[in-house]
Amino acid sequence: MGSQIDLTISITMITLFSIAIFGFAINFGNDNDADMNIGSDSVVASTYDLHKDNASQFSTETESTYTSILESTVAEGSDITPSAAPFSPTRGSLVGSLKNMVTLPINSIFGGWGSPFGIFFTVLISIITLIFALYLIKTWRGNP
Amino acid sequence: MTYLYELPNATSGLDAIVIDTFSVFPFMSSLILLFVYLTVFIGGITRQTIKSGTADYSAWALIAAMATLLPALIFSISNGFIQLDWLIIVVSLNILGAIWFFLDRKPSEV
Repeated sequence: MGSQIDLTISITMITLFSIAIFGFAINFGNDNDADMNIGSDSVVASTYDLHKDNASQFSTETESTYTSILESTVAEGSDITPSAAPFSPTRGSLVGSLKNMVTLPINSIFGGWGSPFGIFFTVLISIITLIFALYLIKTWRGNP
Repeated sequence: MTYLYELPNATSGLDAIVIDTFSVFPFMSSLILLFVYLTVFIGGITRQTIKSGTADYSAWALIAAMATLLPALIFSISNGFIQLDWLIIVVSLNILGAIWFFLDRKPSEV
């Protein structure tokens, strides 16, 4: 993890990996008519749906952001754009997916968000979000 | 000869022997999964350290989690091998491994 692009791609890949693992495990159970199918668990099913929503939202935001970048202008005498619109995908769906991707491990291993260990992941998500914000400022306007 | 528990009836299928064993010792499947995970994880980082002097811990953690998922999914086909909670924990290990792996990549210029 070393830049805004790295962080964006890393979290996107984590989301895609989670979707792939969920999809593989659920389809494996369906194809083999398994007695134990993680798709029958409500937390897994809702997490899987949230991941898919985040991924599709990210795709939509990326398309609009690409258009925004092409239509953006840099004021004369300035070296930055007047708004942070080109960075909107990292602001919206990806930060939202951070919480979704740790929801299942927290509930299944660490006892939920209200458990004594839940604060660990809360702070972890917060620091990654803060790194996101600092990277955006660094990329957009230079060193903060 | 006195047995510690009643012998399983193999006429209903060879998997009945395994299921009966797992029912007597419920942690059997969990220990098998733990064995697979630790074998791949410790074996991987040890061999890589010997060959190159350093090891990619996050990559081996993810590979070990994925290697653990395969027997866990096979266990899930029949009732009695593995509990649904353990299957979810294995999937969770994969996600935690992916988080560690993808946030551990080397930095680039931008």
